[in-house]
Amino acid sequence: MGSSVRGLKGLATAIALGWALVSGTAASAQDKQLRIFNWSDYVDPEVLDAFKKETGITVVYDTFDQMETVETKLLAGKTGYDLIVVTASFLPRHIPLNLYTPIDTAKVPNLKNAWPEIQQRLAKYDPGNKFAVNYMWGTTGIGYNVAKIKERLGPDAVIDSWRILFEPDQLKKLSNCGVHVLDAVEEMFPAALRYLGLNPDSKNEADLNKAGELLRKIRPHIQKFHSSEYINALANGDICLAVGYSGDILQAKKRAEEAKNKVEIAYSIPKEGALMWFDSFVIPKDAANPDAALKFIDFVNRPEMAAKNSDFIQYANGNIASKPLLSAAVRDNPGIYPSEAVMSRLYTITPYDQKSQRVVNRLWTRIKTGK
Amino acid sequence: MNARDAGALAPLRAKRKASPGSVRRAFQPWNDPAAEPLVVFRNVTKRFDTVTAVDDLSLALYPREFFALLGASGCGKTTLMRMLAGFEQPDAGEILLDGVDITAVPPHRRPINMMFQSYALFPHLSVGDNIAYGLRREGLPRQEITRRVAEMLALVKLDGLEKRRADQLSGGQRQRVALARSLAKRPKLLLLDEPMAALDRKLRESTQFELMDLQSELGLTFMVVTHDQDEAMTMADRMAVMNHGRLVQIGPPDEIYEAPTSRYVAEFVGDINILEGRVASVTGEIVRVETAIAGAVELDEEAASLAAGETIFVGLRPEKITLSHDEPVQAVNKVAGEIWDIGYLGDFTMVQVMVGGDDGQLLKVALANRTRRIERPFAWEDRVWLSWDVEAGLVLPP
Amino acid sequence: MRTGNAPTRRLGRLVVAVPYLWLLLFFLAPFAIVLRMAFSDAATDLPPYAPHFQGFSQLGEFIAALDLENFRLLGDDPLYWQSYLYSLRIAALTTLIALAIGYPLAYAMASAPRRWQSLLLVLVILPFWTSFLIRVYAWIGILRPEGLLDMVLAGTGVTSEPLRLLNTEAAVLIGMVYSYLPFMVLPLFATLQKLDRSLLEAAADLGAPAWTAFATVTLPLSIPGILAGSALVFIPAVGEFVIPDLLGGPDTVMIGKVLWSEFFSNRDWPLASAVAVVLLFVLVAPLALLQRARLTRGGAA
Repeated sequence: MGSSVRGLKGLATAIALGWALVSGTAASAQDKQLRIFNWSDYVDPEVLDAFKKETGITVVYDTFDQMETVETKLLAGKTGYDLIVVTASFLPRHIPLNLYTPIDTAKVPNLKNAWPEIQQRLAKYDPGNKFAVNYMWGTTGIGYNVAKIKERLGPDAVIDSWRILFEPDQLKKLSNCGVHVLDAVEEMFPAALRYLGLNPDSKNEADLNKAGELLRKIRPHIQKFHSSEYINALANGDICLAVGYSGDILQAKKRAEEAKNKVEIAYSIPKEGALMWFDSFVIPKDAANPDAALKFIDFVNRPEMAAKNSDFIQYANGNIASKPLLSAAVRDNPGIYPSEAVMSRLYTITPYDQKSQRVVNRLWTRIKTGK
Repeated sequence: MNARDAGALAPLRAKRKASPGSVRRAFQPWNDPAAEPLVVFRNVTKRFDTVTAVDDLSLALYPREFFALLGASGCGKTTLMRMLAGFEQPDAGEILLDGVDITAVPPHRRPINMMFQSYALFPHLSVGDNIAYGLRREGLPRQEITRRVAEMLALVKLDGLEKRRADQLSGGQRQRVALARSLAKRPKLLLLDEPMAALDRKLRESTQFELMDLQSELGLTFMVVTHDQDEAMTMADRMAVMNHGRLVQIGPPDEIYEAPTSRYVAEFVGDINILEGRVASVTGEIVRVETAIAGAVELDEEAASLAAGETIFVGLRPEKITLSHDEPVQAVNKVAGEIWDIGYLGDFTMVQVMVGGDDGQLLKVALANRTRRIERPFAWEDRVWLSWDVEAGLVLPP
Repeated sequence: MRTGNAPTRRLGRLVVAVPYLWLLLFFLAPFAIVLRMAFSDAATDLPPYAPHFQGFSQLGEFIAALDLENFRLLGDDPLYWQSYLYSLRIAALTTLIALAIGYPLAYAMASAPRRWQSLLLVLVILPFWTSFLIRVYAWIGILRPEGLLDMVLAGTGVTSEPLRLLNTEAAVLIGMVYSYLPFMVLPLFATLQKLDRSLLEAAADLGAPAWTAFATVTLPLSIPGILAGSALVFIPAVGEFVIPDLLGGPDTVMIGKVLWSEFFSNRDWPLASAVAVVLLFVLVAPLALLQRARLTRGGAA
C-alpha cells in the first residue's frame, strides 16, 4: 500500500516535470527555430550547418518545386514559414496584398555586398527593394542535346538565337527529336515579342496577338508544354531542345554527367536577349521568428557563404562581393555569369494587369491545345 | 407426351394409387432377361487424388424405373450421379445410355437432366425464363416454348407465378421450379440430387408422392440420390445401398429392409438388434443358433449354406419383437430382461430392454401406439419378456 | 420497459446521425465553399477573389455581388466543354479497356484454386504498395524514345524506328488503364467469386455450351461487378490530372489539367471552382442515371 502511494506521487512528479520540460523546450524552440521554404536543391547543406553552429538556431528546411505551391499557401493566408524564396515576377501581385514584412536593412549589414545592377533590376518588381533580397538569379534560354542537334542540323550548327525555335522551318527539323517549352505565358510571350523585334514587356493587345500567332505556328513541332519535365527529358536524352530556366538546364547537364549516359547538354542565352529571373528572400507577414530570418539573410550574404552556395548549386547569386571567391567553373560559365554585352541584352518584364492576363491566358491555352 | 396429356395430368393427386409399393410389384424389368437397360455403368472407377470415390462399379437402370441411390455422405453416390450428368469423367470403365457409350459426351449434349440439391435456379431470371432456359438452348420456336413453359407450370402447380423471380419464392415453390426446369426438356433420365433435403418434413412427404405420380404418369426414368432411407424406400421401385464407392446391395425397398445381405445394409437401413451366435444345428428350414445373450434361438431361413459350428449374426428388427410381463409359454424364441429406457415417438414407442444381466446387451423393441391411453403397460425397471417368431430373425454373414 | 428503452433509442439515433454529420462536415460544407467561390470574381486580393463576406449586416451586398459569370464563360469558351468532352472520352475509353482486360483477369482469378486466390489478389494489389507517382514515372521510362518498350520491340525486330508513344493519347490511355485496372478487377473478382458454380453446371445440364453458359448466366450475374468496377474507374478517370500531365502531350488536355492551370497558373480561383462544380455535376449525372436504372430494374421484378 505504502509503496504504491509513493509510486503514484512519483508518477505525478514525473508528469509535472515532463510537462514543464515539454512546454519549456517548446517556448525556447520558438526562438531557436527558423523555418525556411525554398526550392529543392537550392542551398549548400554546409551553409545551413555553419549557420546553425554559429547562431544556435535550428533550421527547419522545407522545399517546393513549383512556385504555384508557395503562392497558393501565401494566398490562402498562412504559410507557417519564417523565410521563403520566391520568384520576383510574383512580387508585384503579392506586395499590395500585404503578404510580406519589409526587410529591416539595419539588421542585415551584409546587404552592402549586394550587386547594384541586380538590385536595380529587381526594383522593377519590388520598388525600393523593400521586401525582397535577391538570392540567386538566372535567365530563360535554350537547353539542347549537343549530339542530337549536330545530327539533325549538321556538325557546324550553333544554337545562339531564338531563330531555332521561332522559325518553323528550323524547328521542324527537330520535331521528331523532341522539343519542350515552358508552360508559362510570362516566359514564352516576352521571348516571342523580343524575336519579333517588339518590346518584350508589351501589354498591347495587338502585340500580344502577333506573339501568339508566332507561337501558334511552331506549336505542331512542340512535344510538350511543361515547366519541369524537360529537366529529366534532357538529362535522359529523350529530347533535343527545351526552352527553360538556366538553372534547371544546368541541373539537367549535371544529372546527365552523373549518370554517365553520354548525353551532353548545353545551355545558350539567345543573342536577341533573354528574360532574367530572380529568386529572392521574403519574410511572410505571419513569420513567427523574423529576427532569425534576417540573421539568415545576413549570413548567406557574407561573400564566402554566397560563393559557397553558388559553387554548390551552380547559379549566379546577387552578391557582387562573392564573385572573386567563386570557383572558375561557375564564374567563367557564360550560361551562369554572362558577359557584359549579353548582360545588357537581358530584359525583365512587369506583371500583366487583370485584363491583359486574361488575353494572354486565352491565347496561350489556344496555342497549347491547337484550337 | 403432348399438350393434351399435360391437361389430363393436372389432378395428379386424386389419381394417386393407394399403395405404390403393391402396384409396382409387377414392374420388375431387372428380373426380365429380355429387358433393355436405359443406363449401364460398366466397371466404372473414379478417383480424386488418393480417394477412390467410385470403385469398379457396375449397374443397370431400366426405362420407367424409379431408382434410389442410398448411402452415407462420402460414399460416392453424388460422384456416380455427376458422372451420369457428365460433370465428372470416369477414370476407368464406361457409361452407356440406350446402348451408346456417352462417357466422352459433354453435359450439354446428354439427354439427361438434373435437379440440383441447391436447385441452382438462375437468380437473374423469372420462373418462366428459368423453365424456358433449356428449351431456348434447343432453339425451339417461341410459341412452342411459351406453350411448354405453361404446361410445366401447370404440371408443378405454379400457374400464375411465371413472372416471379426465384428469390421471391418459398422453398417448396423453388423446388417445383427446379423440377419443372429439369423436366421441360423431357429428358430420358432425370437425376435428382437430394431433392427433399431443403424441405420441411410435412412438405417432404407430400412432395415425395407427387414426384412418384409425376414419374409414373410421364413414364420417365428417375434416379434419386439421397441419404434419407425413408425417402428412398417410399419412392423407389428399386434402391441401391452404396458404401466406399461400391454398391453393397440392390433390390426393391422391402427386400433391402427385410432381407439385407450384409450387416452394413441391415444396420444402415432401419433399426436392428444384432445377436452374435453359433449355428447349433440345421434341420430342414429351421436353423438353431446358440447365442450368448438370448440362449438358443430358432430361425426359419433358407440356410443351405450354413453349417453347424459356424459363427453368424442374427438380426432382429425392433417391430418384430413382442413384449410381455408374463413369460410367453408358447413362444419358441424368448428372453427375459429389464426395461432400461422408454422413448415415446408418437406413432410408436421404442423400448430398450437389457437382457443377459446388467452387462448384457440392450435390445430395442418397437411398440405400436394403437390407443390414446396415456398410462402405458410398461414402465422403467419392469421385468419383461421378449419373444419373436421363427420368421422374424434373419441370418447375417459375419 | 418503455422508459428503459429511451436512452438506447437516443443512442441509436446518435449512431445514425454520425454518418450524416460526416457527410455534412466533409462533403456538403466544402462543396458550399467551392460553390460560393464559383459565384465570385477573380481579384487581386487575399484570398484572390471578391466579394468577401463582411458580416451579416452587409449580407445583401455580398449576395448581390455574386454572379454566374464564370459558368457563362465555361459555356461560351469551347476550350472548356471540349476539355470536358475529351475527359469523358478518355475516361470512357479507359473504362472500356480496363473492362476488356479486367474481366478475363478477374474471371481467371475467380476460377483459380482457392488456395491461390489470395496470392493472386495480393499480386493485383501489390502495385498499390509503391507510390502512384513513381509508377507513372516508371511508364515514362518504358514509353520514352529508346526506352524499355522501344528496346524490346527493336530487340525482337518488331519495329526499327522508335514508337514515340510518350506524350501522346496512347501513352495517357496506357497509364490510365494501368493505374485504374485494380479498381476494375477487385469488384469483378468479388462478384465472380461469389457466383454459384452449380449455376453453370445447371446451364450445361440444360444444354448450354460453355460460351452460351457464360453469356446467359455468368455475364448477367456479374453486371453488378461490372457497374461497380466501371464507376470506380470512370469517376476518378474523368478528373485525372497527374497521368495526362506526365504522360500526355499538348493534345491531351483533360479537365483536371484545365482546373489546375486555372487555379495555380492563372490564379483564377473562382473560375477553377466553377470548373470543379460543373465537373461534379458531369460525374453525378451518369451516376444518378445508373442508380435510377438499377432501381427500375429492381422495381420491375
